[in-house]
Amino acid sequence: MALTIASPPPGRTGRGAVSPLQLIGILAAVVCVLPLAGVVAAALSGGTADIAATDLIRYALTSAGLALLVAAITGAVGTAAAWLVVMHRFPGRDIFAWALVLPFAMPAFALAYAYADLFDVAGDLRTWARAGVGFDLPIQLRSLPGAAFVLSCAFYPYVYLAMRAAFVNLPVQALEAARSLGCTAPQAFFRVAVPMARPALAAGVALAVMETLADYGAVQFLSVQTLTTGVVRAWFVYGSLASAAQFALPLLGAAALLLWIERAGRRGRAYGSGGARWRPLPVTELRGPRAAAATCYCLVLLGLGLLLPAGWLAWTSLDVTPEWPRLIAAARNSLGLGVGGAMVTALLATALALASRRFPLTARLASVGYATPGAVMAIGLLVPAGWLWSMAPGGSANVAAGILLLLYAYAARLMAAALEPVDAGLSRVTPSMIQAARGLGAGETGAALRVQLPIAAPALFTAGLVVLIDVLKELPATLILRPFNFDTLAVIADNYARDERLANAGWPSLMLVGLALPPVLWLSRKVAHARPGSP
Amino acid sequence: MTHPLNPAILTVEAVSRAYGARRAVVDADLTLEAGQITCLLGPSGSGKSTLLRLIAGLEPVDAGVIRAGDEILSRPGHTVAPERRGTGLVFQDYALFPHLTVLDNVRFGLTALPRPEQRARALAALERVGLADRARDWPHTLSGGEQQRVALARSLVREPAAILLDEPFSGLDAHLKAGVRDDLTATLRAEGAAVLIVTHDAAEALMIADRLVLMDAGRVIQSGEPAECFERPASLAAARLLGEVNALPVAVARGAAETPWGAAPAPGLADGPAWLLLRPQDLTVSRDGPEAAVTTCRFGGRFSEIGADLDGQALHLHTPGVGPRPGETVRVRADLTRARVVAD
Repeated sequence: MALTIASPPPGRTGRGAVSPLQLIGILAAVVCVLPLAGVVAAALSGGTADIAATDLIRYALTSAGLALLVAAITGAVGTAAAWLVVMHRFPGRDIFAWALVLPFAMPAFALAYAYADLFDVAGDLRTWARAGVGFDLPIQLRSLPGAAFVLSCAFYPYVYLAMRAAFVNLPVQALEAARSLGCTAPQAFFRVAVPMARPALAAGVALAVMETLADYGAVQFLSVQTLTTGVVRAWFVYGSLASAAQFALPLLGAAALLLWIERAGRRGRAYGSGGARWRPLPVTELRGPRAAAATCYCLVLLGLGLLLPAGWLAWTSLDVTPEWPRLIAAARNSLGLGVGGAMVTALLATALALASRRFPLTARLASVGYATPGAVMAIGLLVPAGWLWSMAPGGSANVAAGILLLLYAYAARLMAAALEPVDAGLSRVTPSMIQAARGLGAGETGAALRVQLPIAAPALFTAGLVVLIDVLKELPATLILRPFNFDTLAVIADNYARDERLANAGWPSLMLVGLALPPVLWLSRKVAHARPGSP
Repeated sequence: MTHPLNPAILTVEAVSRAYGARRAVVDADLTLEAGQITCLLGPSGSGKSTLLRLIAGLEPVDAGVIRAGDEILSRPGHTVAPERRGTGLVFQDYALFPHLTVLDNVRFGLTALPRPEQRARALAALERVGLADRARDWPHTLSGGEQQRVALARSLVREPAAILLDEPFSGLDAHLKAGVRDDLTATLRAEGAAVLIVTHDAAEALMIADRLVLMDAGRVIQSGEPAECFERPASLAAARLLGEVNALPVAVARGAAETPWGAAPAPGLADGPAWLLLRPQDLTVSRDGPEAAVTTCRFGGRFSEIGADLDGQALHLHTPGVGPRPGETVRVRADLTRARVVAD
């Protein structure tokens, strides 16, 4: 999708000089790389006395096991959902096409609170089951499989979205060829559709695994010790930057690997397309029990990812009176950070996208931050943070410095996520349009402001929403970097949950869902209508 | 009209298919015979690809019947699934599976056989299309012509009774076409299956077909041997499908049409307006015949293409060597023995 300007643009900016715009772009790339360098430096600098190597290995194995389970579950569940929705007609299909993305609005930690409470040994459900049916549900949510279940509920939409796009773009001829060669429809799915969509499957699963490795709130609550909980604990319990960074190093390696898988999968999307004539996909009408089963499957997915946990949280939180002033202040902070983060990140991503036309390396550098868990990003920023805090005289300046650091962490972590829609939007501007603007007297910055940005404006909005949703749900980086007494909704929910005040934790969680739902809705509708002939 | 040596493999009887208000195929009849290549020729949008998809079972019929021998493959409300019809299908873009090697592509449809036999048969099929040495390669490393041969081998290896090819030459470079076409027809004839080739290229169809089926606006407008269709078009539309033709309005009276070159026989035609059809090569510049004003002349090497005006009627003719200049007046002779009069 990279758009290159064929000839050096006319005007004063020659080959050698760097325009202000490009300078900002390069700066954006540096922003992303700096914290990662910080992690490596911190890990190498400290002694190894603080944590035992066996701990590190144990945590890493737990992370790997969790990642594998989530990869398997989201891969199967998301692929099946995408295939049902793209290739079949059944009651509710047009709604599920976009509604299956809605669990993106639900933070993983909120899912963990809801399910832990729902399946609690002393909870209503288990008590009723024991008394009514005389049978105790053999469910232990505070376990590796339990955490895998919760995180799969939260992250299956990544696979669903990637596979949906892959199936919609599947060349119809390939499926028809398979049928003419003796395959039944299910055989064609397993022997042709899924193998051809393999790159998209890898990309979707890689995103789900990235989020799994980055998650802190849910696994911490479910007492599953992963590398990310290790990072946060090393910092808060032992106060050891070096130990935290040592936990972070394997995460950084995993992140780089996942990023590579995801990007390779994306490149492979061209694979298999290039059919001669576009024809709408053959949609199979499901009837009777099959139609009911399809509807049920989608409903269960949506229910497990959003409706059931949100409903349960709402039900339990009715028991307590919310601390409104504290919640409203936190909501204001969450929204402010979200909007601020979205603006800063979208702006830097735009500069980066424009600069990367000339310095392609900048975009690649910036994307390294994407797979990096927020906790790791925060640890990398602690050195400059300490420096900033010591510089600030305290009081309001301290708060401002802290917020600045938070925005920095969000931008570094989410730059690549914002870069993607911005790049897609900018690719609608042809080189000749820019050259025409330059020929009409606009400078490079002028052409960017008057031609490129207006054309890419909807894409910038999309990029901003993507960042906003992620910042609202962000927990570990916020916990580590936030100024003293500066709470977000996620932080408050985490605080209540630590004190086992789950009914109280429901309120900030639900407020988060309420804030995240409108942008998720907007994005999901946009995704659903992105392609002709698709549901 | 089935030849005793060429049993009918597949018959299409009065088949129709509509998409909403658009009638893609109307009342079409077709017979495919073993060892015979049938070309389905028509302009784009004439319904020829839809007819192929109906035969392959990729779409249901709205009316009519498609049979293989005594078995009904398609009728309204009943379509035997594509995988159980015994027809092979070669797509315009070949539809090779990019995630499988050449050998695995060819082996794809042989899952019922034990693995060693799958491999042996697939290799033999590749051998027949001259690609046995590319068995381990990936499809995208092959040229267009090679990909087509793999697609053909993949269909043929299942020994289908009928094989259907959709625009098999449209994806190829012009300079490759002739060679690929000869290879393809040689392979198809060697297999002895009934073959249906959909194409919009008249020259191609005339060269490779044993039997030609002409389609226009969803209907079969003529079918027969290529020479028969070319020499004796049933209508103006059929004549135009097979190449450039001069159409002059004439009046038929008592079985003959009055033309600038005298009476042309019009057997079986009712009195009234009709069309006199003359190919450009059946008109020549001559010393006798009616006068026409030359409007254009393009030198084309072996012959010159001349545009002329005959009493307000535009004519298009070929003449050997360098032709007259625009503005000159020439006399035009027609070979009425090759002319054809068709109803309006």
